[in-house]
Amino acid sequence: MESFIATGLIGISLGTQYTLLALGFTLIFGILGVVNFAHGGFYVMGGYVAYYCNVILGLPYPFAVLMAMLSMAALGWLFEAFILERVIEDHQATLMVTMGFYLVMATAILMIFGAESPQFPFPVTGVWRLGGIYFPYANMIVLGACLAAIVFVYWLVYRTNIGRGMRAMSEDLPVASALGMRTKALFPFAFALATGLAGGTGALVTPILALAPHVGDSVLAFSFLTVILGGLGSVTGATCAAFIVGLIEAYAAVYLGGSKGALTLFALVLIILVVRPQGLLGREVRRS
Amino acid sequence: MNNRVPKSVPAEIRASLFSGHDWIALAIVSLTFVIPFTSTNPQVLSQTNLILIAATAALGVYIMQRLDLMSFAVPSFMAIGGYTVALLSMKLQLTDVFVLAAAAFLMPALCAIPLGALILRLKGVYFVLVTFVLTEIVQLLLFEAGPITGGSNGLVGMPAVKIFGMELWDNPHVLLTTCGLAFFSFIITSVFTRWFRSEFAAIETNDVLAESLGLAAWKYKAMAFSVAAGVSGLAGFALVNMLLTAHPSSFAPMSSVNYITYTIVGGKASILGTLIGALLLVSATDYFALSGEMSPGLFGLLIIVVTMVARGGVVGVVSGLLYRLAGQSPSLKNGDHDLGGNGEKGQ
Repeated sequence: MESFIATGLIGISLGTQYTLLALGFTLIFGILGVVNFAHGGFYVMGGYVAYYCNVILGLPYPFAVLMAMLSMAALGWLFEAFILERVIEDHQATLMVTMGFYLVMATAILMIFGAESPQFPFPVTGVWRLGGIYFPYANMIVLGACLAAIVFVYWLVYRTNIGRGMRAMSEDLPVASALGMRTKALFPFAFALATGLAGGTGALVTPILALAPHVGDSVLAFSFLTVILGGLGSVTGATCAAFIVGLIEAYAAVYLGGSKGALTLFALVLIILVVRPQGLLGREVRRS
Repeated sequence: MNNRVPKSVPAEIRASLFSGHDWIALAIVSLTFVIPFTSTNPQVLSQTNLILIAATAALGVYIMQRLDLMSFAVPSFMAIGGYTVALLSMKLQLTDVFVLAAAAFLMPALCAIPLGALILRLKGVYFVLVTFVLTEIVQLLLFEAGPITGGSNGLVGMPAVKIFGMELWDNPHVLLTTCGLAFFSFIITSVFTRWFRSEFAAIETNDVLAESLGLAAWKYKAMAFSVAAGVSGLAGFALVNMLLTAHPSSFAPMSSVNYITYTIVGGKASILGTLIGALLLVSATDYFALSGEMSPGLFGLLIIVVTMVARGGVVGVVSGLLYRLAGQSPSLKNGDHDLGGNGEKGQ
């Protein structure tokens, strides 16, 4: 029973991490209609920026996380404004440029930091114990930071004018534009918000999991799983789905072993895509 | 009910089965048959092998692009074709190249039929996502189904294939096998995409409208998906035959990005584009071999540049220039330049 609860806690912790990744991914799809193949790249690069600031420059870890978020948000802004914006009307072209940008990012990381996985330990060690339940402090801190970020995103999206503008554009872009929403400003902002979240998640999570140039591939795959399960473009759906994915992954890893958990998830998502493409909480199929 | 639309297609256009680009592509692939007989340089043989395998695999992307569908499923079907060949040759001692080629084409093509029935209702990003997920599942299955696929060790020690009882075991003969498979794949793809070009063009332009006008879009989509799977399977055969091993890493999900890149950079509007894309990019990878880790970044840059400034890819740009030099105004949209048999658009 204690093992079951401890696994559940790990699952919830994973769920919060996937939520942050999926929120960025789903915001970009919902508002811009773009499937961002570079999302995993922003995650990895955020991890490396934090590693550089914290380990190489010796800056405090919270500052390193902040730097990772800001630098990835800036990079995302520039990418959207100067590259993605020019092909935004063509869904295949947006896929291609985000895919190309991911390859450029992964290669840049490889050239700068090398193929070896660097030592990037989480600054806090130790384990919280309650009876037979163990939960590392690092996971607790990441859980708290991720929950705070999720609350911030929800506040931004549902309680501010910028958020209302973004939601209006995701509902009906032509009407929102006609009513004065400035797509030229809001599109890069939404993209920067999403990539900033990805960078921040990378900075928080890679010290616990792994930091290597190509971990973005699996991050991309799990982001896909989460947003498809929740419904592309649905913020609440992505949040619910992230916790489902996190819990299934944690329990499958403990009770099934190997890659059966991932296989189960992928098969589940394939079925959902086929029978209900709009996902669990998506309202309609958007043809981007 | 006859759902094809032959009445709208003039007989003379239907008769010109291959376009100019098709003929050029077939001629280039035919010329590669000379290499095994004239060169013993392992570098040349290996490079030609890689280019032909890449071009054959990219045909799977090209076929689905005729329907405005971006497929990431090529490595899945390559794996099915490759593992089928490995299992037949290792477990059943079937080594005849014709039997193996038939199996490598038919097995993925047959698997694609029920899969297609499920996923071809999707389009746009949903189709992209479902094919990506499918490739991930196949990759995981290759690892999990250890008793059949050898798991993470793969299937090692394939016997050499035979043609009329003669073993094709050394490098030139392996290349000869690849040339044959590539030529067969290009012929199939050319005939298939040109024969149904008006139907595919209708579906690519507006599948809902095409369906409302009586075209059974699902039928053409299913056929295209199945043929694309079969051609990918032949590429898988060529790959495992070259490596003499069927291993999951040869069919990694992200390798689909390479095949898409060959198609887009070369020019997605014609079959020649996939060949030119593979030729240029596989050669470029080899050229930059000293700093091999740079090649994905180079691919990425090329993808971005071509997508932004030359949607027609290399072939589209060159065709456009030739039109201008010839003083013609093809008035084609980006990416649709095709010199064609009579200079017509590949429609």
